[in-house]
Amino acid sequence: MKLFTRRPGRRPTPKVAKRLGIVGGVMISALVLMAVFAPLLAPYDPTERVGAPFQPPSAEHWLGTNDVGQDLLSELIYGARVSLTVGIVAAIVALILGTTVGVLAGYYPKRLGKVLMQSVDVILILPFLPLLIVLAAYLGRSLLNTIVVIGVLIWAGPSRVIRSQVLSLRSREYVLASRTMGAPDRWAIVRHVLPRTALLATGTFVRAVSTAILLEAALSFLGLGDPLQKSWGSILFWAQSRGAFLTPAWKWWVLPPGLMIMIASLGFALVAFAMEERINPRL
Amino acid sequence: MKKRIAIPILLLCLALVAAACSSDTDDATTTTGGDGGSSDTTTTTEGMTEASVLRAAITGDEDTINPYTYISGFPGWNLLMMQYDSLMQLDANGEPQPWLAETVTTNEDLTVWTLKIVDGVTWHDGEPLTAEDVEFSLEYFMEKATGRFSRDLSSVEDVTSDDTTNEVVITLGATNPSFDLVALADVPIIPEQVWAEIDTPGEATYDISTNVGSGPYMLVEYEAEQFYRFEANPDYFRGAPQVDELVVVVFADDSGALAAIRSGEVDVNFERVSPEQIDLLAGQGGLEIAQGPEFTTQMINFDASKAPFDDLAVRKAMSLAIDAQDIVDTVFLGAATVGSPGWVHPDKAVYNPAVQPEFDPAAANAMLDDAGYADSDGDGVREYDGEPMAFELITNSSDSLRLRIAELTAEMLAEIGMDITVASVETATWEEAVWPGFDINNGRNYDIATWGWSAPIQANTIRVAELVNSDPSIGFLNLTGFSNPDVDTLSAALLTEADEAAFETGIMELQQLIADNVPFVMLAYPDGAYVYNADVYSDYEFIAGQGIVSKLSFLPDSARP
Amino acid sequence: MRRIGLKNLDRYLLVFVVAVSLNFLLPRLMPGNPLALIAGVDVGLMTPDERAEIITAVGLDEPLLTQFIDYWKAVLTFDLGFSYKSGRPIVEMITERLPWTLLITVGSLMVSAVIGIVLGGWSAWRRGKKTDLSMLTGMISLQSLPSFWLGMLLISVFAVQLGWFPSFGAETPASSYEGMARVGDILEHAILPIVTLTVLSIPGVYMTMRYSMLEVLGSDFIRTARAKGASERRVLFGHVARNAIAPVVTFLAIRFAFAFGGSVIIETVFSYPGLGRLIFEAVSGRDYPVMQAAFLVFTVAVIVANLVADLLYPVLDPRMRVE
Repeated sequence: MKLFTRRPGRRPTPKVAKRLGIVGGVMISALVLMAVFAPLLAPYDPTERVGAPFQPPSAEHWLGTNDVGQDLLSELIYGARVSLTVGIVAAIVALILGTTVGVLAGYYPKRLGKVLMQSVDVILILPFLPLLIVLAAYLGRSLLNTIVVIGVLIWAGPSRVIRSQVLSLRSREYVLASRTMGAPDRWAIVRHVLPRTALLATGTFVRAVSTAILLEAALSFLGLGDPLQKSWGSILFWAQSRGAFLTPAWKWWVLPPGLMIMIASLGFALVAFAMEERINPRL
Repeated sequence: MKKRIAIPILLLCLALVAAACSSDTDDATTTTGGDGGSSDTTTTTEGMTEASVLRAAITGDEDTINPYTYISGFPGWNLLMMQYDSLMQLDANGEPQPWLAETVTTNEDLTVWTLKIVDGVTWHDGEPLTAEDVEFSLEYFMEKATGRFSRDLSSVEDVTSDDTTNEVVITLGATNPSFDLVALADVPIIPEQVWAEIDTPGEATYDISTNVGSGPYMLVEYEAEQFYRFEANPDYFRGAPQVDELVVVVFADDSGALAAIRSGEVDVNFERVSPEQIDLLAGQGGLEIAQGPEFTTQMINFDASKAPFDDLAVRKAMSLAIDAQDIVDTVFLGAATVGSPGWVHPDKAVYNPAVQPEFDPAAANAMLDDAGYADSDGDGVREYDGEPMAFELITNSSDSLRLRIAELTAEMLAEIGMDITVASVETATWEEAVWPGFDINNGRNYDIATWGWSAPIQANTIRVAELVNSDPSIGFLNLTGFSNPDVDTLSAALLTEADEAAFETGIMELQQLIADNVPFVMLAYPDGAYVYNADVYSDYEFIAGQGIVSKLSFLPDSARP
Repeated sequence: MRRIGLKNLDRYLLVFVVAVSLNFLLPRLMPGNPLALIAGVDVGLMTPDERAEIITAVGLDEPLLTQFIDYWKAVLTFDLGFSYKSGRPIVEMITERLPWTLLITVGSLMVSAVIGIVLGGWSAWRRGKKTDLSMLTGMISLQSLPSFWLGMLLISVFAVQLGWFPSFGAETPASSYEGMARVGDILEHAILPIVTLTVLSIPGVYMTMRYSMLEVLGSDFIRTARAKGASERRVLFGHVARNAIAPVVTFLAIRFAFAFGGSVIIETVFSYPGLGRLIFEAVSGRDYPVMQAAFLVFTVAVIVANLVADLLYPVLDPRMRVE
């Protein structure tokens, strides 16, 4: 359940953390470049049938073709677009929800805060994957639904982290000062609280992207995403539903998209790790 | 540091590469793919014709498999009929032949059916099976709803039996030319001594002791969600079965059943295998494929009651633009029959061979140009009534083959200037759009949709009237809102046509009318393909439209009709 | 401590209420024919009369509030209804499936606990050294593995290509294995799913153990013990490990809840007949009563795991006990 437990790595020297962060950054940049320049990099249009179905790798199709003869390498390259977009947009949804709830709950810890935190607890305890599947089943398949379902289910963790930060900021002098001066709460929040939670929020955001990428892949794999969107998860969905992983085709159809998902998720996880090490004064 | 990150990934990759290399030898034999599944794998020369125990796979439990408990139409009904007999039995061509009834005679207008029951047939418990049992069975099903069998008999007005002559006379309320197919070859005959005591079959609890039939197999053991054990009935009236014991193993899903037949844990799969598996399985060990025509359909529906689909030119153009052969080759890898635009499967006796699928995008474009659907703003999409011809094609996400059909259809319709977006939705949403409330009087909420009918509609050819007649009481499955006066008159008349020759002429004409007026676009009839281990048993009979799961597959050749 | 436990009990009750209400509301809020959602696949073939009968039988013609109250009554009396697909009582289906899910989740948790605790402890002991850092990096990488993909690869490599393990199911179907032979058969089938779940659980245990160890290593009483001249080994096993283990056990209880939910994916990949597979089958077969019941069982399992974690913590942590 705890998607956002703090990485408790104590004292791996900050230099190491920084290096790991750089490695993660390189991985992310490579994927983003691949997504942006997909039309230049991909040998074919991934939606076009350019060969016979179920072809093994050849000079024309380095990773072979899928069940209707679309080029798997092109699908893989274009897949970066959907996977990264879903990951990032879902994380933005989670960030907005999580920050709003976290800041409100931290700034008004009495009644509102209690109610909000209670609902956060409920969401954190509900069985996550089964709920994700049940929701996706009812909502139907589209990219938007995938994003909404993931975003709505992963905001609770970050909101808790942000709340505790706000709770401690709340009693700081500048906030107290602005309150005694009669400034409206909104002003104190925007002027003092938000900027000081920004770094923390960014850290949880990056980690949320890493989580969301994995979740999108899982949902698409189960056929609960939009199977006609070219994402890495949906490539694996077709590999599963047309039996490719029980044949030699797993080497060119199953292995590559999984590696891409792993690299994407890992890239964001490493950056998040590095950021947390920086934020967390314990180091 | 970079090196250290690389270590776990490298190790993983190494392991995978090692595994990949170790298997390079079998790639050559198993990678077939692209050339389609049309290679001839049906026939077998040196298979086994006798076995003491045969293990078959099904996916999903079928409860205790009596007429009131079996669950699925396939293979549940088929397993039911291993234990019971019907008055007539389908032969390999899917035509009903005398069975429990040794002769079937009818009056001129096909309202009175006289059946002579075979003498000397006994139930599994040794009691004789008589004409009275037949009368009891039909009346029992008519009184106590079972769904399928009650519906089969809905046209029956009266049943009488005479035990001395062993004859049964069935009187129908109206002419029903397909009564032999839909009722006599479908309804199991049940023993009075067992069922007379059961007043409310829908609420009774059963165990296997209820399953007394007259069929070639008797159910002797059942473990819920695990397996069924059937023993051969050595006294079967058509001759003792060639397989002494039939163990039907219940699997949770296809991949389990497939893995089991590959590893030799089962000898035959009673579920159809998907097209991409056909070439992969055939030739592995003793595995062979029995492949043949079946009567499920794949088609494209549109709302023909509204613009632009109310215009024949648009429907015709769509039908010309969709390459059904390409869909058969690409999606079904050849393991399907190309859809006839006249609805009727080419393997049916009443198929009209003059009605042939046409693929001609150029003609389709010309047709749309002539009808005034121009692309005035040059964006590649034609317009109608000032609107772009952009539509949503909805399909149910749980069916991955249909998703691919939708994808290919969209691609083909783009060639004639229609902008199609595929929307894959939950099955309930899809049904609700195409068939709101499962009642066509509620209208339609879709533009274009994938669709498919189950085998019984195709099996009984005249049911095409239900799909194309615009009178909701006849055409209660007319999901496209299609309406054409000629089609209406002819299809209604054929429903009660008693004369066989007249019916045949009429149904040929109807197929041409349907092809000309395009109530829907026919794509394909997917083949049935069943995998079995020929080293264990191979004498399966493929009944057209029904597949291999029937008692015929296990009876000696002399006993088959 | 007891007060905290009770306070959490309120929260768990709330979770339960929310889960049950979600179950009730979702099928009624969604677009589409509620009849199709509730009566399953064969609605299309029914006559209007048959449909009306079902609507009355299920109580869809009652006011929403009455339906809601009836729903609660049914849930509280464990009357989970019948599957629309097989017609079997859902309680029976769940009791059949539950043991399999428990086998692979508990099995993998035990293995990953041992490996995670050993590696985590070792890592903390060698803090900042090469072994620590490379292990830490490795664990972060493992966390980014898509679980279903790992499962698919294990099947491709070890079941299909090498043929070492069966690729599906929990037992050889219709086999006549008894006694030890049956146990062996079950274990053979469980190994790949357990390996997959274990690989996914290890990083969490490792991280928790490592952090907890570092915390303890830095605390006063360890320094005292060292100052007293106790041997390194004695310090490690006698003091550090004992004190560091409490958060790990708590983590394991919560991880159990997570692995239990994660079984949805693992069991789908391995066609393993557990509860996760049941919920996925129900979703794809539109067997909504089964789907809802399975979701409810998942919720209860998660709540129980959290309760156990709450109750275990004070028992295990020696410092808590002293207080």
